Amino acid sequence: MIEKQSILEIRHLKKDFGTHQVLKDISFSVFGGDVISIIGSSGSGKSTLLRCINFLEEPTEGTILYRGKDAETLNRAEYHSKVGMVFQSFNLFANMSVLANCTAGQKLVLHRDGKEAEDKALYFLSKVGMDAYRNARPGQLSGGQKQRVAIARALAMDPEVLLFDEPTSALDPEMVGEVLSVMRTLAEGGLTMLVVTHEMSFARDVSSRVIFMDQGVIAEDGDPHEIFTAPKQPRTREFLSRIL
Amino acid sequence: MPTTFWGWVSLLLEKYGPLFWNGTLYTMLIAISGTVIGFIIGLLVAIVRTIPVSPKASIVKRWGMKLISFLLNVYIEVFRGTPMIVQAMVIYYGAMMYLGLRMQALGAAIFIISINTGAYMAEIVRGGIISVDKGQKEAAHAIGMTHWQSMLHVVLPQAVRNIMPSIGNEFVVNIKDSSVLNVISVSELFFIGKSAAGTYARYFEAFFIIAAIYFVLTFTVTRLLRLLEKKMDGGRNYTICGSQSDSEATITIHPEGDVPND
Ligand SMILES: Nc1ncnc2c1ncn2[C@@H]1O[C@H](COP(=O)(O)OP(=O)(O)OP(=O)(O)O)[C@@H](O)[C@H]1O
Ligand SMILES: [Mg+2]
Repeated sequence: MIEKQSILEIRHLKKDFGTHQVLKDISFSVFGGDVISIIGSSGSGKSTLLRCINFLEEPTEGTILYRGKDAETLNRAEYHSKVGMVFQSFNLFANMSVLANCTAGQKLVLHRDGKEAEDKALYFLSKVGMDAYRNARPGQLSGGQKQRVAIARALAMDPEVLLFDEPTSALDPEMVGEVLSVMRTLAEGGLTMLVVTHEMSFARDVSSRVIFMDQGVIAEDGDPHEIFTAPKQPRTREFLSRIL
Repeated sequence: MPTTFWGWVSLLLEKYGPLFWNGTLYTMLIAISGTVIGFIIGLLVAIVRTIPVSPKASIVKRWGMKLISFLLNVYIEVFRGTPMIVQAMVIYYGAMMYLGLRMQALGAAIFIISINTGAYMAEIVRGGIISVDKGQKEAAHAIGMTHWQSMLHVVLPQAVRNIMPSIGNEFVVNIKDSSVLNVISVSELFFIGKSAAGTYARYFEAFFIIAAIYFVLTFTVTRLLRLLEKKMDGGRNYTICGSQSDSEATITIHPEGDVPND
């Protein structure tokens, strides 16, 4: 049998902040088409895990393999364009229009010409329903609109994996739906996603796999249906009973 | 000889009008050059001081950066911690006596005010850089931009925009404080005031004129800067382009100006 190659493989990842061990020993693989929800209580290290995968934090120990190659040895810009990130606080470039937000990376990092970058940006902006706002500034948009633009900005780089760190947590309740529905569409379209979320309905209904983190380790990793109906670990059960 | 205050004022204006005018030009030239060059110095210093040094970098690079940043700190502290009038004397006469360099007064004045302003600007620009939300820099890195790309395209444009009021303020301060450079005999306004007053010993009238000129300059510049800021704050409106995917697409809000692309 030929083993399917992973897009990302995390091996024995550890991260300390001073004496505080935030990630203790994390290993897992991400395959093409996976939609992985990462759940767990506050402070369990979910954001730190995503930030280490994207090298926004330098891992203390361990390796991250991108298609079998040590990501540290790869060109950072290239790796970043393959592994995109959507933040809780949107982080749109405030000095640029919506369109420029989506073209800047393409031009500067992927060296696409202006026309190609714009076409691509508009394609993804229309996918998230924001192409009409192409000339608006981030400051003129609602939270949900900003997050949809941030998603389009990440998609325009043609990433192979998109990391989401609580993309709806900073939103007013009435805007959560519009962002989740975009993410649902992306998942159905086959995009590989790693989503830290407190939206249990998304984790249960949309993702293909759920990782439950507790105190810096992966406590449980498996099929969403199984985890939500019959968690193996007592601490998973305890967490779910608290949150559901 | 005039017997009234206004009589003296008009006599001085008549006799020294062109001199006052020249002094005004010198003052403005020194203040503008000092602010522009000082801003460039401050920008460069702040950029250098915010270069990230990874702990994995070579020891030479890490110590090199430490040394550079120490020297820049010394520069900032010394020039902010001593009066410009003293700096002028030390530099001008120091260069003359120990380097055998006889600086031309105007050049020396611009040099002194520039490095003095640079020390203040370095801190202002650094504040501006810090004021830009860290998340945007992370987002820039997350799509693969390098430190320099994110600085150039994301952080600095916003930092500079945020510190515009402080830059304007430095300019106004420079219009006034360039007066201390009269100690190196550059013919800016204060120096002209002294010369004009000397002939008839009419210090009050001469410096009344000088004060009025300074006030007109700073008042005008302050208003102009405020206008400029308002203009930069504009572009709050935008046009929603036609689209099938958005129900609000028919709404058109006319922008005040073009929304710049980058
Ligand atoms: N830069 C940092 N310096 C020091 N400690 C940090 C840093 N970033 C995170 N931590 C600590 O690491 C732990 C895990 O943080 P992390 O943000 O990864 O948790 P999380 O699971 O994402 O929580 P939440 O659900 O609240 O977002 C926390 O105790 C936090 O205080
Ligand atoms: Mg978090």
